[in-house]
Amino acid sequence: MKEFKLENSTKIETGFKTPDNYFENFSDKLLLKLPHNEPKVIPFFKRRNSIIMLVAAVFIIALTIPILNTAHVNTISELDETTLENYLSYQTNVNQYDLINVLDAKDIDKIDAPVALEEKTIEDILVDNANLEHFIIE
Amino acid sequence: MPEEKEFIQQLLNPKMQNEAFQKLLLIYQKPLYNHIRNIVLNHDDTDDVLQNTFIKVFNNLKNFKGESKLFSWIYRIATNEALTFLNQKAKKNGITSEELQNKAIDNLQADVYFDSDEIQLKLQKAIATLPEKQQLVFKMKYFEELKYEEISEIIGTSVGALKASYHHAVKKIEVFVKSN
Repeated sequence: MKEFKLENSTKIETGFKTPDNYFENFSDKLLLKLPHNEPKVIPFFKRRNSIIMLVAAVFIIALTIPILNTAHVNTISELDETTLENYLSYQTNVNQYDLINVLDAKDIDKIDAPVALEEKTIEDILVDNANLEHFIIE
Repeated sequence: MPEEKEFIQQLLNPKMQNEAFQKLLLIYQKPLYNHIRNIVLNHDDTDDVLQNTFIKVFNNLKNFKGESKLFSWIYRIATNEALTFLNQKAKKNGITSEELQNKAIDNLQADVYFDSDEIQLKLQKAIATLPEKQQLVFKMKYFEELKYEEISEIIGTSVGALKASYHHAVKKIEVFVKSN
């Protein structure tokens, strides 16, 4: 077989061809695919929406404050006797006579619990409370 | 190179970008087409890779630091795109890159965009027997007639190593052609 020398023989071309007008149309085809640098537009309505959302949020918070406050009051545990007594004594116009009128026989029976008191204790109470004497007389 | 710097500035300037990019296309579309076609062999695949290459060039121009020449930077992108394309195609078909290349050469005979010359086909078959890097060096030197210095800038191998690689490639091709 005869010697083949690549460098000495005629140059072998690739043999590759392209379709007609391929390069003429290539740039137009490619330019359509390139990302275009368009100026960034901030839509007016988008900004207005955020303002509306902000105002709405403030309103909702404002409206929930009284509800939260009420809820807070409601969570306070039941009134204790001392507080109620103090309230009746100092913050209202209810006096002893009003209370007596409200109480019926059953209530009085409930209050009428036997109290074991020694004589000395009774004496001390009488000495400390001068008004009691007035009540007894009455 | 002041001219190249000026050209890059034009490519980055939104007002001049369109015109400058058309100029870049005019300069590079034919040599890059040939470069990619030599790697992927088929016209339609070359068209896809060429478009992807230019899109990548366009998108990455702002990152081009001018450390290498624009020419070698663009060629490097094209080479990477072509090789990545082949690897992905082989993976998709569940075959090796070598099998894919042999299949592409078989298809060349029926390709309307290939001059079905016996010696051209034999040369393609001979090239397919070479390792990937030798193939690349041979195609860039023999078909594209690039200088060793240019190939060195593109694929990042020393001129000496490229010369040795080309020499080995030529010897193997001559043996293949002689025995087939």
